[in-house]
This record gives sequence, C-alpha cells and structure tokens, in this order.
Amino acid sequence: MTEKLAKAPAVGDVLPAIEIPITLQRLVMEAGANRDFSLMHHDSAVAQSAGASAAFANTFFLMGMFERLVRNWAGSCIRFKKIGPLKMLNFNVVGDTLLFRGKVVAIDEVERGEKWLLNLWCESERGQTTTCMVEVIKE
Amino acid sequence: MSDVGWGLWGSWEETEACLNTVVGEWWGPDPVEPGSIRRWLEPKEFDCAIHTDVGAARAVGFPDLVAPASMVFSYGVAPYWSPGDSSKSIDDEPTQIQIPVIFNVPAPCNKSFATSMEVEFNEPLYPGDVVGCVSRLIDIQRKTLKVGPGAFLRQEDTYTKQSGEVIAVANLDIFRFYVEQGVTK
Repeated sequence: MTEKLAKAPAVGDVLPAIEIPITLQRLVMEAGANRDFSLMHHDSAVAQSAGASAAFANTFFLMGMFERLVRNWAGSCIRFKKIGPLKMLNFNVVGDTLLFRGKVVAIDEVERGEKWLLNLWCESERGQTTTCMVEVIKE
Repeated sequence: MSDVGWGLWGSWEETEACLNTVVGEWWGPDPVEPGSIRRWLEPKEFDCAIHTDVGAARAVGFPDLVAPASMVFSYGVAPYWSPGDSSKSIDDEPTQIQIPVIFNVPAPCNKSFATSMEVEFNEPLYPGDVVGCVSRLIDIQRKTLKVGPGAFLRQEDTYTKQSGEVIAVANLDIFRFYVEQGVTK
C-alpha cells in the first residue's frame, strides 16, 4: 500500500470503514505486541470488576486501529502529526465487532503542503465507543 | 478500574507537591526492529508496506522502514522485569504498565480510569532507535463525578530517541477517585 490517493481529498469525504472482531486471542496478541499487560485487557474477571462485561481493548490498540484506518485510505503519502484527543466513551469488549469510521473535516495549507483534519470514531452494537481527531500532513 | 494495586495512596497535599515535577523516567528495553513491528501490525490486520518493506518506505521519502507512529508508546514501555530484579511470587501483585500519575503520585484514591489521550509526533521511529520517556504531572483538577470524589490528573510524556531528538509528546488524562469498597492503602 504505497500508492497515493487517486484524487485529492475534499472536506466531507468519508474514509472506507474497517470492521474487526474483538476476540480474547486478538487482545492477547495485542498485549504481547504493544506491551500493555494491564489485567483488564486480557482477564475478564478483572475487567468485570471495573464495570466492563469482559476483557476490553486498550488505548494503544484503538490508536493503532485509527492509524490503520487513515493508512488504508491515504496510503503511504502522509505523515501523522497528531492523534487525539482520543476519548473513550465505552468499553470495546470481547465479543464486539468494531467498526472504525471517519471523514475529512478540514484541509489547510501549511508550510510544506497540506494539513488534513480527520474526525474518526469507533462503533460497536452499543453505539459510538471512541472518538478521535487526527491531523496528517501531505507534503 | 481494578482493585489490583490501583494507585499510590496519599493525601491531596502530597498530590499537589508533585505538580510540575518529573514523576517518572525510564527507557524502553528494546530497539525498533522489523519483528516487533510485524507483531504489532498482526492483531490489527494492518497492511502498509512502509512498515515492512525498506524499498516501499524509501519510495515515499523515508531513509529506512518506519515504525507506525503510535508504536512510540510500545517502544517506550518500561521493562516488566530486568536482570537483577527479584523474582515474582505467586501472591505478588501483577506488575503494572508505567502510568506514573497512578502508580508514582500519591492521592487519596483507590480507583482510576483514563478519559482522554492525545499525542503530537515530531520524528519518525526507524530500526535501531531506542525510546526514552519522561513523565510530568502538569495539571490537577479536583472534581466529584458520580463514581466518587477525585481529581483529573494530566500526565505529559515526552518521548525521545537515544540521540535526544523528541519523537513525540503525549498528554494522558486520568481520573483518580475514591470509593468506599476495596480501599487500597
């Protein structure tokens, strides 16, 4: 995926959505890879003591998925300037199928190209669980 | 939120004494390399050649393959055990990921949760880079939410390479609060 966008983006463009099921295996793989071994992210009993129905995805996973959402859409031609604020509104638990979505909300000229402001979010069957603003630079 | 070692107990005066001070400082144990990048991409089903193929990365201006931007957190996590550390016993509490405003800053609280995070990136991460992190407590806002009385604590994390270049600066907001059950002192 090194290609550039087929056409320049415009405000209001919608990013192709990504669907991903949350299984305990995925959370364990994620913990091993991102080094966040907090128990609530792989131990459902601990997660339930925190009010979740099961083990739930950690912040590093959500940030990484938002990064994937942007790369899937824009390819390799952009650089990440800012991710956030990322706000956690609800747990993303084992058994959920998450849908990551987004749209372009602003395009501004900057010194070395354009800055694209993206409004991203994650949904489960309980509605929006996470929101995240992202700024990328297209040189 | 959890009852497992969920924060350092202390007074609000002790919390205030930590404001604008360094509350944590460490180096991630492992350099950036292709294997850890691949394992990070795997559970996200994240397919982008600049993270796995040097040629693809060079084609868009990077000098080498580049780690995903948000991997800075993973490379900056402190080791859970290092040579010379004591061995764990079965009854010991699990080792926690470093979140200094929870585990190093005293507060009269026994629960906490993260509410928001943002990060600004300055420099990409390339193979061979090692990541250090310095954490400061930069804001305290006392507040009572429906879960209990507590405070929003803002932790600013500055991630640097071994060369001193700043990779990223992150702000993490944690709400620490007190509930009657399961007090951890």
